[in-house]
Amino acid sequence: MGRGAISIVRMSGQESLKIAKKVFSCQGQIEPRVLKLGYIDIGGGAREKCLLAYFKAPFSYTGEDMVEFQIHGGTHLTQKVLSLLLEKGAVMAGGGEFSKRAFENGKLSLDEAEAIVGEINAESESELRASLNVADGKLKKKIIKLQSDLTEEIARIEATLDYPEEDFEKSAKEAIFSSLENVRKEIDGFLVQAKNARFVKDGIFVAIVGAPNVGKSSLLNALIGEDKAIVTDIEGTTRDIIEERILYKGIKINFIDTAGIRDAKDKVEQIGIEKSKKSIESADVVLCVLDGTRKLKEEDKQILSLTKNAKTIVIVNKNDEKRVLEKQENEISISAKDEKGIELIKEQIYSLVIGEQVDFGKVFIINERQIEHLTEAQKIVEEIFVAKDESMDIIAMLIKNLWNALGKITGQCENEAIIDLIFSKFCLGK
Amino acid sequence: MEEFDAIVIGAGHAGCEAALALARTGNKTLLLTLSLDAVAFLACNPSIGGTAKGQLVSEVDALGGEMGVNIDKTLIQLRMLNSGKGPAVQSLRAQADKHRYHQEMKKTIENTPNLFLRQGEAIDITINYDGSKVVKTAVGKDYKCKAIVFATGVYLKSRIIIGDYTKDVGPNGFMNAQMLSDSLKSLGLKIMRFKTGTPARINGRSIDYSKLEIQQGEEQIQNFSFLTKRRSKNSAVCYLTYTGEETHNIIRENLDKAPVFSGLIKGVGPRYCPSIETKIVRFADKERHQLFLEPEALSTNEVYIQGFSTSMPVDVQEKMIRSVKGLENAEIMRDSYAIEYDCIDPTQLLPTLEYKGAKGLFFAGQINGTSGYEEAAAQGIIAGINANCYLKNKDQLVLKRSDGYIGVLIDDIVTKGTEEPYRMMTSRAEYRLLLRQDNADLRLTEIGRKFGLVDDKRYKVFKKKQKDLKKIFEITKTKYKIDDAIKKLYEDNNENLPSTSVTIADMLKRPNLDVFKINNTLHVFDAFSFEVVNEMNIICKYQGYLKQQEEDIAKFQKNERLTIPSDFSFKNLHGIRLEACEKLDAIRPLNIGQASRISGVSPSDIAVLTVLVKKFKGQ
Repeated sequence: MGRGAISIVRMSGQESLKIAKKVFSCQGQIEPRVLKLGYIDIGGGAREKCLLAYFKAPFSYTGEDMVEFQIHGGTHLTQKVLSLLLEKGAVMAGGGEFSKRAFENGKLSLDEAEAIVGEINAESESELRASLNVADGKLKKKIIKLQSDLTEEIARIEATLDYPEEDFEKSAKEAIFSSLENVRKEIDGFLVQAKNARFVKDGIFVAIVGAPNVGKSSLLNALIGEDKAIVTDIEGTTRDIIEERILYKGIKINFIDTAGIRDAKDKVEQIGIEKSKKSIESADVVLCVLDGTRKLKEEDKQILSLTKNAKTIVIVNKNDEKRVLEKQENEISISAKDEKGIELIKEQIYSLVIGEQVDFGKVFIINERQIEHLTEAQKIVEEIFVAKDESMDIIAMLIKNLWNALGKITGQCENEAIIDLIFSKFCLGK
Repeated sequence: MEEFDAIVIGAGHAGCEAALALARTGNKTLLLTLSLDAVAFLACNPSIGGTAKGQLVSEVDALGGEMGVNIDKTLIQLRMLNSGKGPAVQSLRAQADKHRYHQEMKKTIENTPNLFLRQGEAIDITINYDGSKVVKTAVGKDYKCKAIVFATGVYLKSRIIIGDYTKDVGPNGFMNAQMLSDSLKSLGLKIMRFKTGTPARINGRSIDYSKLEIQQGEEQIQNFSFLTKRRSKNSAVCYLTYTGEETHNIIRENLDKAPVFSGLIKGVGPRYCPSIETKIVRFADKERHQLFLEPEALSTNEVYIQGFSTSMPVDVQEKMIRSVKGLENAEIMRDSYAIEYDCIDPTQLLPTLEYKGAKGLFFAGQINGTSGYEEAAAQGIIAGINANCYLKNKDQLVLKRSDGYIGVLIDDIVTKGTEEPYRMMTSRAEYRLLLRQDNADLRLTEIGRKFGLVDDKRYKVFKKKQKDLKKIFEITKTKYKIDDAIKKLYEDNNENLPSTSVTIADMLKRPNLDVFKINNTLHVFDAFSFEVVNEMNIICKYQGYLKQQEEDIAKFQKNERLTIPSDFSFKNLHGIRLEACEKLDAIRPLNIGQASRISGVSPSDIAVLTVLVKKFKGQ
């Protein structure tokens, strides 16, 4: 996934069209090899215009049914569509998987075999190199450590189960769960890191919503203020969604816009609530702007109700004039005109998303596939805690599942590793 | 020359099962043994079963084998291991009367039609142009046959070692086989040298039991065989004692005399069955090691000291034993010894246990580098079944890892090989929640029937269990109004009472309720056997997890179903690394799943192989 004017998200396999239809709507039928214009439902009632191409097996690159979405560029939206498809049942492709499938389905001739294998091997080789390298390898190293701690835990459990009569320190549930608590913390931590890594790379996406005339555009101008210079070097590709961008404590803050906040006066009224919903849904932080000089209108209330969650900051503008509006919960009172309270907003955005100061030296990039495996691992950890009262065979099975999930990241999935440890660690046998 | 359909060489636990399987499927079978007194001999510990091994015994039984029946007949103590740790890891372990175990098995074999038990040493095998084989014996009596099962145990060029004393004999002073492994070599087989050992037997009258911890058996638990109706009685007890600092000092002082460390022993010994001197060296900070004293049989005073295997000189052995609490005056009747023996590299076999180098030659038991009576019996029955299939030109049986421990065992040794005597463990099985001892019949009896080993009697018992299970599951679905009795059941077990009505299936989902408590209140299962009620209880309690494993199995089986034709050549495959080609060619996997488990074959090699196999099949 990178940055281009258009992003393409591809699916291959029998279920492709079925999954695509769950998120894509258009007029008329989807036909093979015909580019179809329609909408992707990105949640919260918001829709994104996109093109869909359907290739019916065996006439596709992989030789299976394939669907391609062509969507507006920008990693944020692409991520969104990707995670939407994963949610609907798609599975993240493995490295070189499309080529592998094409190969397996005989779409590539034998003469091409060597080239493809080279490619596939090169991929795993580069992964290997990367593991010794910074970026992606950093996580791998940590997971290897985590998995090997788990190997010890499993070895003790398995020794306990396979040698019930032997005399060694047996696995106690309390001890297992206290070390699982640690695994849980680590995995949760990695996923937070993954999130942070995304923020470090792409920045925070902030939507400014509010009724007409509350001062959204002057707020935006105040926010970008002296940082204006930075705004100009945005690559053209993201213009569709990012309106303005500033740098705060080393993190990019992108103000996303879908309806042209600067033209608020003429447009917001026409576009209305639906459009606001969309920007709220796709943002990391929502700035909900209210006018301090008047009571809440019906429109304000509607927008407030849409933004009732943790990622919203309520901003009461125009504190340079007489306050009429009643006190709002957790509000930030500002004057966009006098640029008062603006720094506080930036600070709030930052702390809401990043939390404590990010140590850039410690952040590492976690790719989408690793996130998927980590999320799976996280799910299993939670499952184990739910199963705490089950018998040891069940707990052992779940912990082994966890070990396997981590193994998808580290490449270590040989059961022999556990058995070796059982015998080197414990004195067993007749 | 006398002719047979099949000859089984060796009448240990593998040989007996193989011979019975062959004879019971109508083949004229010769069972050749070095000594008629060593038929089904328990050369090491007088016990059958244990973790994972108990499962193997019940699987052998479910397929129509003899081991389960024989141990049920002759056990003198029975326990269920891991009873608190969940059904997946529960296993039966029995103390056997080793004399009666041998006698009963010998009796069964002698009385089986088509089966001929003879004493004799096989020294040479020749294969004729027509595929028939000749087995030459040492005394010059030769036999002709079409199929051979090699189940020679630890008798090939075996040598026992006690201190600096060595002698070329088999276990327990039985004669060994000096010639046969050379004959196997000439058939192209690669020979390995493994080592194992057995502890001393002491006179029970010289043990001071008053100082020792007693270990009783359990009454009223299930049997190894699905055919056994009566509940086993415990007629013997075991005792527990420990080594101490003094023992360890004696061993340390005499390490230079231990053949394992002096270099006299060259064979590879198992990690899980270390001699006591190995334990002391490898786990130096362990203050004591436990020893179980197990009676060898009701008719003898000999006692087996589990955990005390050694190859030290006899004077050191005696000092060591007498330093243990309760054994101060122990009188050694048989010395402890180490034994080295020839075995084959099992990767030369197909998952059917047939030798890849010549048709009609099957291998089972310790000759394949495994250890344990149960592992041997498991291979024996498969080798017997497949030798029968070979004789009748039928498709042979390959059990999958998801079918049973037998499948795991054979897949492991033929795909990965083994560098030490291979022992079965529950941790080797990916799907152990489904591979339980209690459901071995539900997993395997249909297969045994299909291959002709499950007779009508066994099949009827199996069908009845199936029918009863169906009935009992119906009962679990009926709704019960909450009456006083149910109210009391819930209250007594600290469970929240449901509002209106409840099914037994719902009740079973409560952690504090089980089928036995429920039956005490409702008495709906009185008409069912313990086995059926227990089965239903497990299935209801573990439903979610069982389903999870079934899904895993479905994924696993996808690649197992992608078969590789036997005439597919793995040599110089275009697009696969040379190293991987060599490994594939050495193992010659039957399907893509097996190929993927070969060490040194990468996922991308498998991707290419999949295409090549598909193309090959398409031609």
